[in-house]
Amino acid sequence: MRITCPHCGARDAQEFTYLGAADLKRPDGMAATEAAMTDYVYQRENPAGTHRELWYHGAGCHAWLVVTRDTRNHAIAAVEAAKSRKTGAAA
Amino acid sequence: MAEIATVSTAVSWAPRGAWAGIAQPGSFGATGGAGVLATLLDGFGLATLIAAPGAAPALSRIVEARLGIALPQAPKIASGQAHDAIWAGPDQWLLRAASRDGFAGLLAELAPHGAVSDQSDARAAVRLSGPRVRDLLAKGVMLDLHPAAFAVGDVALTSIAHVGVQIWRLADGPDGSVFEILVPRSMAGSFWAWFTASAAEFGCAVTAAPVAGPR
Repeated sequence: MRITCPHCGARDAQEFTYLGAADLKRPDGMAATEAAMTDYVYQRENPAGTHRELWYHGAGCHAWLVVTRDTRNHAIAAVEAAKSRKTGAAA
Repeated sequence: MAEIATVSTAVSWAPRGAWAGIAQPGSFGATGGAGVLATLLDGFGLATLIAAPGAAPALSRIVEARLGIALPQAPKIASGQAHDAIWAGPDQWLLRAASRDGFAGLLAELAPHGAVSDQSDARAAVRLSGPRVRDLLAKGVMLDLHPAAFAVGDVALTSIAHVGVQIWRLADGPDGSVFEILVPRSMAGSFWAWFTASAAEFGCAVTAAPVAGPR
């Protein structure tokens, strides 16, 4: 699998480290219920299809990327720098 | 009053180049003409520049005013009279000076615009050329270094044999493409082990570049 880093160009996946889902929102720590925190920490979607996920380009530019990947065939639809995505206050 | 002892406990500290004890001039591998030429580089000044948030244009302006080179916004190297600005990630660069003379003063001028850190002794650098240089690099670099894909002045951050490297292409020499590679000093031994094993079949001549200016 190759990931096209927005800074470095197409690179082999072994240059990257996978983190996981990109769009988790951490609940407000003190206010959240135990169930909500458990969901945030442990519960993950496991989609057969499009998945937005974080990858770290550790052997390259050291940037975090948000990769939109189809989990069925590894087709990558989009790659953006995590820094440049719009995030909410609780992200 | 007792005589003050004058026994010297001073240790003689001498700077060691990054390749000391690892690589030395000579030749190895196949005989009958060197397919790969390696030039060990030493004595240069090197610093990482990381622009403070929003300060990249200001940093670039001061580098341009001082050295006549703009900080590249893409993976490129920009070379001036005695300095190179080498892209090293978004809003990050390496600044290399041919000599360490006055380098600390230059860095002090840049420091207000970001994180500036002298790395002169932290990297080992080698220039590679020769008719088989791309065959050699193909054994370790996952990128296409063909002139059509990797132009003169292009820079890449990647890895060779699990060692993080920065590689760029200089103007062609008599034998074609010329590359420079920078590796973390602590990994220079590992890199050199890969290099000697990989270059042996092509025959390799190793030289040391003359050191410019005082260390």
